[in-house]
Amino acid sequence: MTTNPATFLSPESNLLLEEPLLRLPLEVLRKIFKSSQRYIENDSKKITELARDAAAKAPLVSHETSLESLNAMITRMQTLKRKMETLQEEEKVIHAQSRKRVSHLNRLYSLSSLLDEEYESWSKVRLDRFMVDYMLRNGYSNSAQQLAKKQGIEELVDVDVFVQCWTIEESLRNKKTTECLAWCAENKNSLKKIKSTLEFELRLQVYIELVRERKLKEAVAYSRKHLSSSHDTHPDEFLRASCMLAFPPERPGPYKDYYAEGRWDHLVKTFVSTHHSLYNLPQEPLLHVALAAGLSSLKTPSCHSTLSTRHNTACSATSLCPICSTELNELAKPVPYGHHTTSWVDHDLIVLPNGRVYGTKRLAELAGKLDLGDGKYRDPISGEEFEKSEVRKVFIS
Amino acid sequence: MDAIEKDLDKLVNGGANLSKSIKDIDRCLEMLMAARSTIEKDPSATTSTLQNLEPELKAGFQAANDNLKGLYTGMGKYGKTLDKKFKRNDNENTFGALTNQQPLINRAIQMHLLREGNFEIADTFAKEAGIVESVPSVLEVEFRELFSIQESLRRKELQPAIEWAQKRSAQLEARASNLEFQLHSLQFQVFLYSGGPDGPAKALEYSKNFLVNFQNKYFQEIAQLAGYLLWREKLQTSLDDSSWRDIIDLFTTEFCALLRLSAESPLYVATTAGAIALPTFNKMAAIMKLKKTEWTSQNELPVEVPLPDKFKYHSIFVCPVSKEQTTDSNPPMMIPCGHVLAKDTVQKLARGTGSRYKCPYCPADSLPKDAREIYL
Repeated sequence: MTTNPATFLSPESNLLLEEPLLRLPLEVLRKIFKSSQRYIENDSKKITELARDAAAKAPLVSHETSLESLNAMITRMQTLKRKMETLQEEEKVIHAQSRKRVSHLNRLYSLSSLLDEEYESWSKVRLDRFMVDYMLRNGYSNSAQQLAKKQGIEELVDVDVFVQCWTIEESLRNKKTTECLAWCAENKNSLKKIKSTLEFELRLQVYIELVRERKLKEAVAYSRKHLSSSHDTHPDEFLRASCMLAFPPERPGPYKDYYAEGRWDHLVKTFVSTHHSLYNLPQEPLLHVALAAGLSSLKTPSCHSTLSTRHNTACSATSLCPICSTELNELAKPVPYGHHTTSWVDHDLIVLPNGRVYGTKRLAELAGKLDLGDGKYRDPISGEEFEKSEVRKVFIS
Repeated sequence: MDAIEKDLDKLVNGGANLSKSIKDIDRCLEMLMAARSTIEKDPSATTSTLQNLEPELKAGFQAANDNLKGLYTGMGKYGKTLDKKFKRNDNENTFGALTNQQPLINRAIQMHLLREGNFEIADTFAKEAGIVESVPSVLEVEFRELFSIQESLRRKELQPAIEWAQKRSAQLEARASNLEFQLHSLQFQVFLYSGGPDGPAKALEYSKNFLVNFQNKYFQEIAQLAGYLLWREKLQTSLDDSSWRDIIDLFTTEFCALLRLSAESPLYVATTAGAIALPTFNKMAAIMKLKKTEWTSQNELPVEVPLPDKFKYHSIFVCPVSKEQTTDSNPPMMIPCGHVLAKDTVQKLARGTGSRYKCPYCPADSLPKDAREIYL
C-alpha cells in the first residue's frame, strides 16, 4: 500500500463551489441599492416640486394653506426616511450575513490537511448548506428552513431568494403570469442588460391563452399593447402570433407548438434560469456538482459487479464502501468509475483455495479474534475455513 | 480572503452603505420641520422661508444621491475582488449524471437525515418531497435505535449499547467484531474509576460476571484490566474522552455493518470526495473543450483523481502489463508462479492460441489454462 500524498488541503480548490455564497448577498445589496436610488429619485423630485409650488403660491394664499403644503412635504419626507430605514435594516442583515460567510470560508485557511477533524466538521457544514440549497431549489422550503435552523446555518443559506423564486415558479405552473410579470417589471433594467426574452415570452403566453379562449378582440388589443413594441426584436414570433388568430385550438395547423401545454413548462424553465443568472446563482444545485464528481471518483469496478463473489470486497477498511451502500448505489450506476494507475492492495497477500485474496495480517488477526486455533484461516466474507497449508502467496507488482 | 474582508469592511463600517444618505434625508426633514416652526411662530416669514426651502432641499437631496454613489463604488470594488477570487469558474455537473435523478437523490438525503438523527426534519422532508416507501420504514426504526444508543453513550451510559450487543452476539461474532468485549471492558473501567470508594469491588464483581466469558479470546486484554485494579491510583487518566469517542465510532460502524450500510454517511463522504476532486474534473472539462475531444473510455474516468487513502474502500488491481484496471469481464488472474495479470493480458501473452508463455516478472513459463481467477 503506497502512502498517498493527496492529503494536502488547498483552500482555493475548496472555494470552487463557494462563489454563490458571497455572490448572492452582493446581488441582494445591489437590489437594495437600486431601490434606495429609486426612492430618493422619485421622492426628491416630488418634494422639490412641492416646495417650488408652495414657494410660488405662498404670496397668494393664506399661511395656513402654506403650512398645509409644508406638512404634506414633511409627511412625504418621513415616509421616505422610513422606507430608507427599512432598506438599511435589510442592508445590515446582509452585511452580517456576508461577514459570517467570509469567516466560514476563512476557517479553511487555517487548515492544512484533508484529514484534519476541523476539515471534517467544515465539510459537514458544507453538506448541510448544499442540502438546504437543493431543498430550496426543489421547493421543499419547510425542510430547508428546519434543517438550517437545526444546524445553525441560517446565515449561510439563502432561504428568502429561493422561496420567492419558487412562489413565482408555482404560479407559472398554475398558469398564472401576474407574479412573474411583476417580477419582470421589478427587474426591468437588469433583464434588458442580459437581453432576456422572458417578458416577451410571458406576454406571448397571455396572448395565446386569449386566442385559445377565442377572445380574439381582446387578444388583438393585448397584442397591440404588449407585443407590437417587440416587433423589431422578435419579428418571426410576432408574425406567427398574429397568424395564429386564424387557427382555433381544435385545428391548430402550424401553431401546435404555441397551443401546446408544454409551453408552460418552458416558461417555468426560462424563468428559473433567468432568475438564477440574474442573482449569479449556478443553474444546477451545488449538491449535484459535488455529488457527481464524488460518485465517479469513489466508484470502482467492484461497486456494481454482477458477480456476488466480488460483492463487498473491502480491502483493509472495515467500513463498507459508500458507493456500495444503499443510499448511493443506484445513483452511481450510470457514472464512470475512477481511473487508477497503481494497484491498491494489502501487504503480504495470500490467496485462499477459493480464490479470494487477503492480506496475511488481516486473516491472522481475524483468526485470533475468532479463536480458531493455530494453523487455520477464515475467509471473512464467505465464512469458509481453510488450513494454513492450503494458502499461497500472491505477488502484485 | 483578506482583500475580500477589507472590501466588505468598507461596506459595513467604511460608510459605503446607506447610513450617509439617510443622514442627508434626515437633515432635509429637519429643515422642513424648522421651516414649519418658523412659519408657525411668524406667519409673515412664510414666503421667504418657503422660497429658501427649494434650493436647500435640492442641495440636501443632491448630497443624499452623491453619498449613494459611494455605496455604488464600494459594491463595484467588492464585486471585482470577488471576481478575482473566484475567477468565474464554471462547475460542470459532470456528465449530467444527476439531472433527472431526483427520487434517488431525495432518498439519499432522507437516509442521511435519519442517520444524523434529524428525525423531525426527515419527516417534513418525506412529506414535502413525496417520498413513499423508497426508504423502508424499518430503517427509520433502526436509525432511531442507533441514535438513541449513541446519545446514551454520549451521556456515558453503556447499558443500552451492551444490551444491543448481547442480543446480536452471534452476528457480531461472525464479523469477528470485538464490540461486545470493548463495551464490557469500558464498563469495567467506569466502575473502577467512577465508582467511588467501592469502585474496585464493583469492577471486580462485574469482571466476574461479564469478562470471564471472553477469557479465551481476550486473555491479554483482561490481564491488563486486572492490572488496572492494582494500579488504580497511578493510572487515573486511562479513561478519557477519546475512549468514549472511539466506542461511539466502533458502535456506529458495527451497527451500520449489520444493516449492510457504510458507517459514515455516504452522502457526506461522496460530497466531500467530490469537492476534493472538483479541480481535477474542471481541468479535464476545460482540456476536452479546448481540444474538442471526448474521452474514449466511457466507463472510466480518463484521469486519476487524487484522494486521501481514507477514501479508498476496495482493493484495486491495475494490470502491470496492460495498465488497465480489472473488471468483471477482464478479471485478475494468478498464474502458477504467483504473479497476477489481467485476463486479457494472459490471452495476449499466449497470442490467443493457448500456447506456453513466459511470466513477464520471473523466468517461469506456464499455460493460459493454468491461470486462475482471483478475487481481490
